Amino acid sequence: MSILLNRKTRVLVQGITGKIGQAQTKWMLEYGTKIVAGVTPGRGGAVIEGVPVFDSVAEAVKGTGAEASVFFVPARSVKDTVFETLEAGIKLVVVVTEHVPVHDTMEMRAEARRVGATLLGPTTPGILTVGEAKMGIIPGNLFPKTGGRAGVISRSGTLAYEVGGILAKANAAPSTVVGMGADPVVLTDLADLLRFFAADPQTDFVTIVGEVGGIQEELAAEYIATDFKKPVIAYIAGRHTPEGKRMGHAGAIVQRGMGSVESKVKALEKAGALIARTPAEIGTIAQTLGIRS
Amino acid sequence: MRLHEHEAARLFQQAGVPVPPFAVAETADEAVAALEKVGLPVVIKAQVLVGSRGKHGGIVTAETADEVRQKSGAILGSAVRGFSVESVMIARKVAIARELYVGVTVDAVAGAITVILGTAGGIDVETVAKERPDALFRKTVLPPAELHGHEARGLARQAGFQGDLMVKVGDVLVALYRVFRASDALIAEVNPLVVGPDGGLWAVDAVLEVDDSALFRHPEMPKDTLARIEHPLERAAKQIGVSYVDLDGDIAIISSGAGLGMATMDVVGQRLRPANFLETGGGITEELMYKTTALVLQKPGLRGLLINLYGGINPIHEGAKGIVRVLKEKQVRIPVVAKALGNRQEETWATLREAGVIIVTDITTEAAVDALSAALAGGPRASDH
Repeated sequence: MSILLNRKTRVLVQGITGKIGQAQTKWMLEYGTKIVAGVTPGRGGAVIEGVPVFDSVAEAVKGTGAEASVFFVPARSVKDTVFETLEAGIKLVVVVTEHVPVHDTMEMRAEARRVGATLLGPTTPGILTVGEAKMGIIPGNLFPKTGGRAGVISRSGTLAYEVGGILAKANAAPSTVVGMGADPVVLTDLADLLRFFAADPQTDFVTIVGEVGGIQEELAAEYIATDFKKPVIAYIAGRHTPEGKRMGHAGAIVQRGMGSVESKVKALEKAGALIARTPAEIGTIAQTLGIRS
Repeated sequence: MRLHEHEAARLFQQAGVPVPPFAVAETADEAVAALEKVGLPVVIKAQVLVGSRGKHGGIVTAETADEVRQKSGAILGSAVRGFSVESVMIARKVAIARELYVGVTVDAVAGAITVILGTAGGIDVETVAKERPDALFRKTVLPPAELHGHEARGLARQAGFQGDLMVKVGDVLVALYRVFRASDALIAEVNPLVVGPDGGLWAVDAVLEVDDSALFRHPEMPKDTLARIEHPLERAAKQIGVSYVDLDGDIAIISSGAGLGMATMDVVGQRLRPANFLETGGGITEELMYKTTALVLQKPGLRGLLINLYGGINPIHEGAKGIVRVLKEKQVRIPVVAKALGNRQEETWATLREAGVIIVTDITTEAAVDALSAALAGGPRASDH
């Protein structure tokens, strides 16, 4: 029913003692996530929302068998913490933090590839497997109680929420919603995330929610054209974005005609994807696919 | 943050890039005084954060002290492509035998650093890439790896340089790469890198853009980040900690994410005209929403306000209190439509309704735009959709 995360995944929360980390831990637990440990250096021995806190990732892994980690740590500590987490053997890391220096992201990306780990972010809302578990900040109450058969991959956070809800309304509930991160350099490519959905027998089609800037969508289109067999619906936000203007997070910028909505739509359309011009159209197209949750 | 040419030139010089003697002047007198250090002839360059200065009168040459006084006086206080000139860079003019391009930038595709050497410089590098792709030579480096001397020389050799020139070009590339890494840059560029008649190299331009997210670890960087933002509302937004982009329509937009904000603009743009892009990011508080709402409403001639929020990391029920305070204090009369979903949505709706905000509970942004259109057409003010 899902990719990457399910109700059995043993989750670690880094930065659990902070205000946001603590509040989000509560929401994640309420959703059903199996949170086994938290880490905040210097706070080992504390208990937050019933979860034991450790000083280091290695201790948390040893003590609880944690296998996936979600980050609520400040931007300046993210790189250091990622290296610690990968060294402890964790293979799924969700970096919710915004404003991470891009040089740090490049170093983390190289390391993740070297050790074969999947890192989402930075600036990701995380991942939510409907009705099972969530790592990150996606609000659970926007989705149905049980999962369906539509995979969702989104660059943006809040837009992923809207699309998840639109799919559910169209009677095509999501299976897993993945935020890939909105920065210009992401830790895992869109095409690599599609590969997980390709291998998941419970996902019938995938919705890509892209946006102007970068060329992740164009690269994914090459993979879709050659190897991805399931239907793809794609919406690219930013038709009304003026050239050269940075729209919020750093990824969303069109410059010199590169990474425009037009180039992405053209590449995806050519690869066989069904193009939605607005978020609501995703629902209309999903209904024509005749897939029910 | 983009640095001024003289700021970038200073950093390049410190790293070992050969830069002709230069000084910065804010008055014609200072410009003349600078000649003692710089020497004639000189190039006078407007220090504005915009490209193509040469084509727009921002770069002139001067052979005598009188010419320096007169020309720098004329440029100072003028505007180049709409940017007012507060200082000029006075740089020694160097003889040119050939022009090259060197640049280091973030390659979002590879998630790595790209070092570029161009055998045709002095013109827009994108134009070269389009018309003469064979004139550009690239090398990808995966940080934290350095660009090693032999790799840089290899790139120079690949581009056809030999002997002394190959070594010098390699040295410049290594130095530029070092500045790029040390300053957390998004781009470091010299265009053109001049080869003199004597075979010496001179960087006669310097571009450096630093990652704003990394400024916390760069106390050496200029502190006037805000002053470098031209538009007053965009500047005010940055000060609050939100992103604002001014557009030419009359429907103000507040959204809690960049993707959602762009999608909102897409949907609004089908029927109405967005006045701005605004995204709060994940830091909503009552105070932030108070300031944000007041900010977007400053724009004259607005016909409506559309608020599109999700409570994920954001406490939207707190934000709602800030919105309501502005609506009451400023006695806002234009229709305000809000779609606010997620954690604690019911509390949020109750707070907003009390101030006459039209609440949309449907998940689509289309429904919110429908409600706004209806209100603009004279529909009921406080009804729910």
